[in-house]
Amino acid sequence: MASADVPAERTLFVRKATGLVKGWSVLDAFIYAAFAINLMALGFGYAFTTIAFIPNGALIAAIVVSALFIIFECLVYASLIAVMPRAGGDYVWQSRVLGGGVGFVFACTGWWFILWHWVPIYANILVVEVIQPFMVIIGNTGTGVFQSDWWVYTPTHGTGIFVASLITIVIATLVVAVGMRAYAQFQKWCFYGGLLGLAIILLVFLFHTKADFIVAYNRSAQNLYGTGPHAYQHLIAASNKAGTSSFPGFGSFPVKASFLLIPFIVFYNLWPNWGATLYGEVKGASDFRKNCYAMAGALIFTTIVVLVTFAAMAHAMGWETYGILSSAYWGYFTAPLAIFPYPGTLAAFFFTNEAIQLIIILLLSLWFFGWAGSVFLSSTRMIFAAAFDRILPEWAARVDSRTQAPVGALALMLIPSIPISALYAYSTRFYTYTLDATLVIAATFAVTSLAAIVLPWTKPEIYNQSPIARYRPLGIPLITLSGVIFLGFLIFCLYKWLSDDVYAINNHQSLVYMGVLYAAAVVIYVISRAVRSREGIDLTKINSEIPVE
Amino acid sequence: MVSAVKLFFATDIHGSETCWRKFLNSAPHYGADVVILGGDITGKALVPIIHDGGDAWHGTLQEQRHDLSGEDEAVDFEANVMRRGYYPFRVEPDELAELERDEQRLDALFHSRMLATVERWLAMADERLAPKGIRCYVCPGNDDQLDIDAVIESATGVVLGEGRVVDIDDFQMVSTGWSNVTPWKTYREDSEDDLYTRIERVAATVQAAPEKTIFNLHCPPFGSGLDEAPGVNEDMTPKHGGHAPEPVGSIAVRRVIEEHRPVLSLHGHIHEARGHARIGPTLCINPGSAYEQGQLLGALIELDGKKIKNFVLTSG
Repeated sequence: MASADVPAERTLFVRKATGLVKGWSVLDAFIYAAFAINLMALGFGYAFTTIAFIPNGALIAAIVVSALFIIFECLVYASLIAVMPRAGGDYVWQSRVLGGGVGFVFACTGWWFILWHWVPIYANILVVEVIQPFMVIIGNTGTGVFQSDWWVYTPTHGTGIFVASLITIVIATLVVAVGMRAYAQFQKWCFYGGLLGLAIILLVFLFHTKADFIVAYNRSAQNLYGTGPHAYQHLIAASNKAGTSSFPGFGSFPVKASFLLIPFIVFYNLWPNWGATLYGEVKGASDFRKNCYAMAGALIFTTIVVLVTFAAMAHAMGWETYGILSSAYWGYFTAPLAIFPYPGTLAAFFFTNEAIQLIIILLLSLWFFGWAGSVFLSSTRMIFAAAFDRILPEWAARVDSRTQAPVGALALMLIPSIPISALYAYSTRFYTYTLDATLVIAATFAVTSLAAIVLPWTKPEIYNQSPIARYRPLGIPLITLSGVIFLGFLIFCLYKWLSDDVYAINNHQSLVYMGVLYAAAVVIYVISRAVRSREGIDLTKINSEIPVE
Repeated sequence: MVSAVKLFFATDIHGSETCWRKFLNSAPHYGADVVILGGDITGKALVPIIHDGGDAWHGTLQEQRHDLSGEDEAVDFEANVMRRGYYPFRVEPDELAELERDEQRLDALFHSRMLATVERWLAMADERLAPKGIRCYVCPGNDDQLDIDAVIESATGVVLGEGRVVDIDDFQMVSTGWSNVTPWKTYREDSEDDLYTRIERVAATVQAAPEKTIFNLHCPPFGSGLDEAPGVNEDMTPKHGGHAPEPVGSIAVRRVIEEHRPVLSLHGHIHEARGHARIGPTLCINPGSAYEQGQLLGALIELDGKKIKNFVLTSG
């Protein structure tokens, strides 16, 4: 049988039937994916500042090269959605291809348990990108409910991070409770508002010089943060003394060191697949392509916008300044001002008018508020899928009849996240336990990649009927080829995280803690299987293929 | 003495040959006593296989054109089309052009292919289920044309459920494939008031106690979570990239469940809304559908005459 592109003639006659909709908009799915790889919240909110840890690595090269590898992640997930378009994502694919136990343990840890621990990580971003600059701009230096030292001076730990965690929990709970329809609308407005904020700061950077920045920095450090004069000159002097003022040029690519930056950078761009747990029915090959366009398009768009933003910042501040500010923030030397080098804050420095400063910060804050719901939303779909498979109890899938809120799944996310946020905020030891939070999700993605690699052989009857069966570059199924490349990329990141101290996550206590989470998932599965077996339900049978003949 | 029964329920197979065959094999696979097929049995589309002269043909499936050489390849392609739930038909290019112009002729062709498939399927059921003593109940759905009821009724190995109460051992089951109004104006749609009247007319005749009553209502109850479908814009494109589901179930269905409080209520209609929910004491299940992938999604439920003994959603 030969194959070619779709001809113009009538190839299908449909009758009136439920669900026959036209194609969905790539733009809408693109926005969801773009929020997942949130350049402001995750990129400028943490990942890019890690240039301080590997100063001989080229940040721009690491961003571009990691994006190239993550294109294959988009192909893997778009393929899996096309073959098995089922809400539940990683859990469904792993459990159907590799077995129910494997699927539950890896999805349970990667999409459920670990996201309790991401609440304070989200909260930290809320503090450094929204609350801290807001407080400083309005001149909050007093005590009381909104003590400035909660937010400005010790944002990583303490009451500030706990309160911000509670705010994050409230936002995420509201998003899940009001449902995807309202969230999608809200997210769209946040996306456009966030883009407007981004456009404003790009113009601010483009229309100012380094000399302007030095004046603005010194003025803001003194007026807003109460430093002495010449904070910028003191910053550079301290950096020079510490030997942290030299970074590879904007376009350079020292291969080895730049690759070492990648395990940091993926904190921001590993997630274009975040909406994969939400997918339902897929109609055909065009939907596969649309999923690719939406996820990969968001990745490419975001990468380009990051490059443009860095170019604009380099124009206004000098390329090395961002690295120096990051090094100061991460404590490589003592500077008069060691605030988080958030582009919004830095752009606001150019203005003395508080209203303009607040507009910049609030518009850019939409990148956080439009994204915050994602900490719970996808997890609820995984919990639902596990409850439908009867691994979790029936109430886990309970939906409130009045509000349609998934109260069971929400409770399973919300309730544990509160004490975990408190422990994170107030216990340095527990904070250390959570260092491997990204690693656990990456491990889940790695197992999904493995499922993708073997799928054409383990589920040929489903794969061969799917719209992606025809894609065979070099005679290899595209899903397998993409899976191998992405799995290799993840193995590289996992190896570096586990073996190299610079990433600060090859921490024995953290690994033990993560091991406890995996063990808890295993225990839940084993108990569930025993209980269901006693009830007459064989959990091993629920995903077994019924013979056709 | 209370008897127990183990049911397997699947729905919305939409003409998928693979799913129908799996359904016929589901009872021994899961150890079920009774198999129930919810509505939307028939396919949604006709796929032309166009003659290119000699033994050459071509057809398009999933937006991919296949050039077919010889009868074997054409038959293989037809099988692929049927597996996905579509009806293949061979046609000359000039006939195809005529069909595009003549809606009545196209409808007649669709109708004949659909009925022929249902008749063939029921013959398979007669042949495979009855000798094994497997009881099978089938109820059409809103996407199924009305005249397939007579075809189902004529089968010996299958019991038609539509608009009646059927006995399953000590249990009684009320079925209808009618739904509330959809944007697609399908074959079995009622206003909420009329739908309530339609179901209530049958439900009122149930003799069994609620713990021995089963509802098999194609449309899921409103606001149950089993009715969440991607919202559709006026131009029939999904809202927000398909990421924005909204409840589209029936208020009437919810009302009859709340009033009669059956132990079990089986639903379909919304393929994406796989799940289970409780309305009062009633366990409501929508196993969802993945017919295009050839996966038979289902639910295995064990009833002991007092309560749901256990249940699980399956993916076969």
